Amino acid sequence: MNRLFNLPTLITIVAMIILLPIVQRPVVAAEVLTLGIAALALNLLLGYTGLLSFGHAMFFGIGAYCTGILAVKYDFSAFTAIPIAVVVTAVVSWLIGLVCVRRSGLYFIMITLAFNQMFYFIAYSWTSMTGGEDGLPGLRRPSLIADQWSFYIFTVIVFLITVVLMKRFVDSPTGRILQAIRDNPARAAATGYDVERYKLIAFVASGLFTGLAGAIFAFVFEIVPIDKIHLLFSGDILFMTLIGGSASFIGPLIGAAFYTWLQETVSLYWDRWPMVLGIVFALVVLFFRTGIVGMAEVFGQKVFGKRVVKTASAETTEAHR
Amino acid sequence: MGILIASQILNGLATGMLYALVGVGLTLVLGMLNIPNFAHGVLYAFGAYFTYTIVQLTGSFYLAVLVGPLFVVLIGFVLESQGIRRLYSAHHDYQLLFLFAVALILQEAIILIWGPVGFSVLPPKALSGIVDLGFVIYPAYRLALIVVTTLITIALWLFLTRTSIGAIVRAGMENREMIAVLGTDINRVFMWTFGLGAYLAGLAGALASPIIGLTPSMGGDMLPISFVIVVIAGLGSILGAIASGVLIGIAQSLTSIWWPEASNAVIYVLMGLMIVLRPQGLFGTR
Repeated sequence: MNRLFNLPTLITIVAMIILLPIVQRPVVAAEVLTLGIAALALNLLLGYTGLLSFGHAMFFGIGAYCTGILAVKYDFSAFTAIPIAVVVTAVVSWLIGLVCVRRSGLYFIMITLAFNQMFYFIAYSWTSMTGGEDGLPGLRRPSLIADQWSFYIFTVIVFLITVVLMKRFVDSPTGRILQAIRDNPARAAATGYDVERYKLIAFVASGLFTGLAGAIFAFVFEIVPIDKIHLLFSGDILFMTLIGGSASFIGPLIGAAFYTWLQETVSLYWDRWPMVLGIVFALVVLFFRTGIVGMAEVFGQKVFGKRVVKTASAETTEAHR
Repeated sequence: MGILIASQILNGLATGMLYALVGVGLTLVLGMLNIPNFAHGVLYAFGAYFTYTIVQLTGSFYLAVLVGPLFVVLIGFVLESQGIRRLYSAHHDYQLLFLFAVALILQEAIILIWGPVGFSVLPPKALSGIVDLGFVIYPAYRLALIVVTTLITIALWLFLTRTSIGAIVRAGMENREMIAVLGTDINRVFMWTFGLGAYLAGLAGALASPIIGLTPSMGGDMLPISFVIVVIAGLGSILGAIASGVLIGIAQSLTSIWWPEASNAVIYVLMGLMIVLRPQGLFGTR
């Protein structure tokens, strides 16, 4: 692991894994980690490739529904249903990606959102398989991970593997090319890289990991709720990524924890949670564009007089934004 | 079967013309401000809800359709001048995310003001009956809707192509730096364009209120549809937005004859085909 993660990133990951189940019930801690995987995966596109996707609930939902349908309707075990769901999500994200990466900028945003809505309608209308509006209940965790703590440990293991794979991906030559495309697509194309092909690679990688997050999520509360494939949830994943800080590798995980904490706290007092989410979202966009990690960097500079949180892409991101 | 198809084509035309209004509004904002307005759907919803309230207060549907959308314009003005304008220096992703946040807030505001339960608005008495068209018997309100939206669309087209303000709007969509250089107050143009976009969304909502149920999520349902319209039309094409609005309206209602469950999804398939076969859209050049 040495060299793969810098110290602040490593501390964040370890602290999260230890603290989450202490401050929350283990299932909620597992939920945070799965949402964290989705937000980190979205950031492969947003932070590392410069593509804003408004359709990640579609991948999360496909992963979750696929797992749910295999487990509930066809009696697959979690350990076989999850890998199959990941493969299915990868194939779907490749097909959708083929269309989406043809266009960039505003088009890309609108197309991802529109396709998200298409899959929402499929989940909504195909009631015999998906349960429609009521969601798909009746999943059972296998006996090995049936209780909260063993399920949490299972989630931690998957999370760690995923984080290592994602970090290796962004540090790989392919990941570097993606960052070059983000900073200047024309220059990357002029250097001879097939920009569309690399965007497609990023799209599939991002979709695949988001699908994995969805597949695990299906077992967190043993139900697939339909709102997890709705485009508003795409906005939620974006919110996590941005409020954590899309310029850092680990920022989105912090964002996922913050999002869950905010939701759990607010919904105790007021059932109009999306209103609060919207207000916080607007404030972040207006005043705290660098997210929590960005604020921590500024704070660290003031206290220690140097950059304490050196992030994977901080040096190139300023040019991008 | 022939009667069913004919009446479904008319239904598609009615919703399609509403889509066209929403789509043109989005196209104007998109072309001028270079952001897809994520709050466009919720402005449409506000148009419908304001209409409902004015009908409740005054009993006049016509007054509601005239006045309701103007309140939506006020919301649009506030959004543009207090929010989006502050974000011009930021990457335009942030303007879009700000509008998404605003859409969330406004959708929740609908629930707080009007409650989570849906409403319906009755069409005015003169238009609540049915009309025998010879080949099909058809609700009078929908027929009037087709006529009125067609007239509005023509008026809008004349405004954009025959007046000097329309010329500024079209020039701004082509090249906004240039009209700023030529001495037009770009902030005012942006604000009025955003207002016009909001008006068209609100007007569509107002006119739609007797044929659809009012629910807090109606804006969220309209947003992806308006994006599909713009993608099929080609970015920045007003004529394209009208054509693709009508096209997807008819495609939806025809699909619902044979495969009702797929009628919501079919427009996204159309969009996907369009991107593959004709990436610049129906009328787009970019």
